Amino acid sequence: MSNLPTLLTSLSSIPGPSGFEHDVARRAVELMRPLTDEACVDGFGNACGILRGTQPGALRIVIAAHLDEIGFIATGVEQGFLRFSTIGSVDPRMLPGREVTVMTDPPIPGVITCLPPHVLSEEEMDLAFPREDLFIDVGFSHEETVTRIPVGTPAVYRAGCFPLGEDLFCGKAMDDRACFCAGLLALEMLQNAALPHDVVLLGTTREETNFGGAKTGTFALDPDVCLALDVTHAETPDGGPKNTDCVLGGGPAVGYGPNMTPRIRDALIAAANAENIDIQREVMPGKSYTDAWEMQVSREGIPTAILSLPTRYMHTPMETISLSDLRAMADLLVAFLKQPHGEEVAE
Amino acid sequence: MELLKTLQELNACFGPSGEEKEIRECIRRIAPGRIDEVRVDALGNLILRRKGSGPKVLFAAHMDSIGLIVTHIEKEGFLRFGNIGGLVAENILHATVRFKNGVRGTIVPDQSADRTKLSLNDLYVDIGAESEQQASSLIRIGDTAVYDAPANLAGGRIISPYLDNRISCIALLWAMEQIGESANDLYFVFTVQEEPGLRGAKPAAFEIDPDYGIVCDVTPAGDQPGSKHYGSSSLGGGAAIKVMDTSVICHPDMVDRLRALAEAGSIPYQNDVIVRGGTDAGPIHTTRGGVQTGGISVPCRYIHTPQEMADAEDVTHCASLMAAFAMSRLPARS
Amino acid sequence: MIELIKELCAVPGVSSFEDEIRARIEREIRPHASDVRTDAVGNLIAFKRGAKRADHPLMITAHMDEVGFIVKKIDDKGFVRFAPVGGIDRRTVIGKKVLIGKHRIPGAIGLRAYHLVSAKEEKIVPDIADMYIDIGAADQKQAQSLVSIGDEIVFDSDFVEFGDGMIKAKALDDRIGCAAMIHLIQKELPIDCAFVFTAQEETGARGAFGATFSIRPRIALVLEGTTAADVPSVKGHRRVTCAGEGPVLGVMDRGAIYDRDLFERLRHLADNRGIPWQTKRFIAGGTDAQAIQTTAGGVQVAAISVPVRYIHTSSSVASIRDCHHMVELAEAFIHSVAEDPGAKSE
Repeated sequence: MSNLPTLLTSLSSIPGPSGFEHDVARRAVELMRPLTDEACVDGFGNACGILRGTQPGALRIVIAAHLDEIGFIATGVEQGFLRFSTIGSVDPRMLPGREVTVMTDPPIPGVITCLPPHVLSEEEMDLAFPREDLFIDVGFSHEETVTRIPVGTPAVYRAGCFPLGEDLFCGKAMDDRACFCAGLLALEMLQNAALPHDVVLLGTTREETNFGGAKTGTFALDPDVCLALDVTHAETPDGGPKNTDCVLGGGPAVGYGPNMTPRIRDALIAAANAENIDIQREVMPGKSYTDAWEMQVSREGIPTAILSLPTRYMHTPMETISLSDLRAMADLLVAFLKQPHGEEVAE
Repeated sequence: MELLKTLQELNACFGPSGEEKEIRECIRRIAPGRIDEVRVDALGNLILRRKGSGPKVLFAAHMDSIGLIVTHIEKEGFLRFGNIGGLVAENILHATVRFKNGVRGTIVPDQSADRTKLSLNDLYVDIGAESEQQASSLIRIGDTAVYDAPANLAGGRIISPYLDNRISCIALLWAMEQIGESANDLYFVFTVQEEPGLRGAKPAAFEIDPDYGIVCDVTPAGDQPGSKHYGSSSLGGGAAIKVMDTSVICHPDMVDRLRALAEAGSIPYQNDVIVRGGTDAGPIHTTRGGVQTGGISVPCRYIHTPQEMADAEDVTHCASLMAAFAMSRLPARS
Repeated sequence: MIELIKELCAVPGVSSFEDEIRARIEREIRPHASDVRTDAVGNLIAFKRGAKRADHPLMITAHMDEVGFIVKKIDDKGFVRFAPVGGIDRRTVIGKKVLIGKHRIPGAIGLRAYHLVSAKEEKIVPDIADMYIDIGAADQKQAQSLVSIGDEIVFDSDFVEFGDGMIKAKALDDRIGCAAMIHLIQKELPIDCAFVFTAQEETGARGAFGATFSIRPRIALVLEGTTAADVPSVKGHRRVTCAGEGPVLGVMDRGAIYDRDLFERLRHLADNRGIPWQTKRFIAGGTDAQAIQTTAGGVQVAAISVPVRYIHTSSSVASIRDCHHMVELAEAFIHSVAEDPGAKSE
């Protein structure tokens, strides 16, 4: 379990775009089962693992990390090629010549088309292909494709993870399965902690489309405190301090802004300071585009915070994270969960 | 219940989003079959219940229509308006509209507007008034208007305003006629305010707290010349079983269940993915702890123009599939 | 009323930083309410018993928060980089004075001097990400000792009465609504009411969801500030509303279609009392009603708004007469609902 690269690779490789997370959710439950008192897939499809506290009627703290990834969906067949649309926010510049896996049973490999240079004009060469002009080449005849791949079949980037240097790790769906792994590591470390409150690790679905899993999962669990784990942008040569708040290797980022309740945020910072965990800070002035946005306004409103994992190349098949950041995130979760939390929730 | 007549009857009712009283009363009057409970909620949703001991199934079809709302009267008697729901300038240009009190007008452009980049702000309603004073004697600011165009049959198809969503209301009413014995607890909800933002379905579903949801709406077909394929369905291809729209990705179990029912009942169907447009399935599937929700839609061309087109057989198939679902054995919610 | 608006506008309270303004309002209302509490998102909820009991109290709301900014970074020269909280037109931001954080450190949103700007550049307004606040720090270290990442940044703008009954201040949207609610809660009321001073309206009606879920009203009245663009360069319907021509009755905006029956009721009440009123000539904006209307089982919503020129800037302007009329009409509405709730549901 503690072999992080193996764990990350195993979760990353399972196809699971928003709305089609069944297999990822099942695997997530399998991974949580030995670490929790109860683990199951809830009515909406979220993976839910509960580590019960020692005090009955104690607080319920829900930690959410989403299991879904961005992907594609077949919308028709033209001359044997699949017409497709996107699920979640897909950078069209990633597409030409990209290998994908069509989620039939068994899966079918495909390549997203691109036109060779000699048929393009000079101006066209500079522009990204509009998505409507791209197709997925599955190598079959028209009739075969129509039979094998009905309209509505999803697809994802082809899987594959690999390390970069000593500390970095690269693959698809680090957003947000890497954070779910941080949650698993934290649960591992809490095995004999005998906390007074309930801790729930919620692997949410549909974050990339409408945060549906966070909305329904939170309503069903009716928590007292919510913490969303998601990825955030790390600096790259073309994405400097103006566009990003964090760097890889600087530790997890604590969020500041309207979606984060100050006393929960401050509790995270206090926990980090107490354990000498390096953290970064990230300001989100409006909609955070994380599960926390839905969690905060569930029922009568819930104190909420966001903890982020710095990531380069978000929403590409090459999402890159730092393993030491991930371990630090797990350590911080443990330190935070070990706090009493009574005062943050009391009015 | 005959298609064209019923459609004309529904279209004669005034029912833009926010003012659904007339269409609600009409639907209530013509709703067939056994109805054990009738409720109208705070927003005006019409909830008709056929009691059963089994799982709760919520069928939803929105009864509101797009329209215009008068925001300002110019001194020359021309009316400025805002949109209720999705209106596109090029689609409504020169359409005839009618107000609740029967006043009619036509939508015209500002003569100096750039015709290649027309927006709603460039348009007026001309009700034939010569001055602001005369116009004010006919209508008030805040009054709303709807398309005033006929419904006709054309081959096996129907051309009419407001197939979105009156044709689906009819499909649901036909389903209500066909549903025989059912163990399920059935709620037929004609929702309000779908067009401006899927608003009515949300509180209706919250109150009912269903186990399953089926939404009946129109869905944009992708079968016209030069189509950019924003929708995968075709007129005449059968009931469109929703896989995805911009507000929902239907749970695979629900989609499989509907396909199986269609196969078993020999009901022609097609898989439906659209990249533009959301439906009541959006708010319904994320109600409370979540509701397994599907969509059974009528493929439709020229949606939100004064003359939309759908296939009459598709409507029949949608009704049959909804009835089949209502009568099917459904597992209790986990 | 004007004194109260003046005092409330002076208190900082950018969305999610409502502690101070909440405390100030609470001090005013506590003696008049039977139950006062603050919820998880920061709403201030006060119940006021009325002559008649009600299963579901009439909910009346105004939002406490104002638009502003938040500190994103302190750069290596000691200048503060910031982001907007709520909808702010970036064309109204440069060259304004602000106060940062709990210690209200003064800052100037700086810009390159006009002399140094080319004719082409002066037509373009920079992105907020390129703007900066000068707090007069010698270097990064000194700046970091004065302000922190995540600090609230609020406009520094005083209250001025001018012209014929006009007022200028920051945050007229929606301290005017808050002042109106404070006036109402001090009166003897005919029916149980829940007065909700919401948090985080400007960032998406965020407080209103939880407050509504908790209270479950049948009817809600929203008291707001709304755009007035009645200036010479704007013609006809684009003026939206006109300052001084009476409170605006909600018909429709981008977030909600207001309950028709309640709108008609407000219209009649206003006409019968000789209170001037108007409606928006342009469908734009949104209020807490967008969250309230579809929460839980649904709520019939109505809105009364005061036209505010230059809304969401440091120098918003409104008419004092409109403010008084808002209170008058809201009170009439409460009495009318007490007499005849006009429940829609069957």
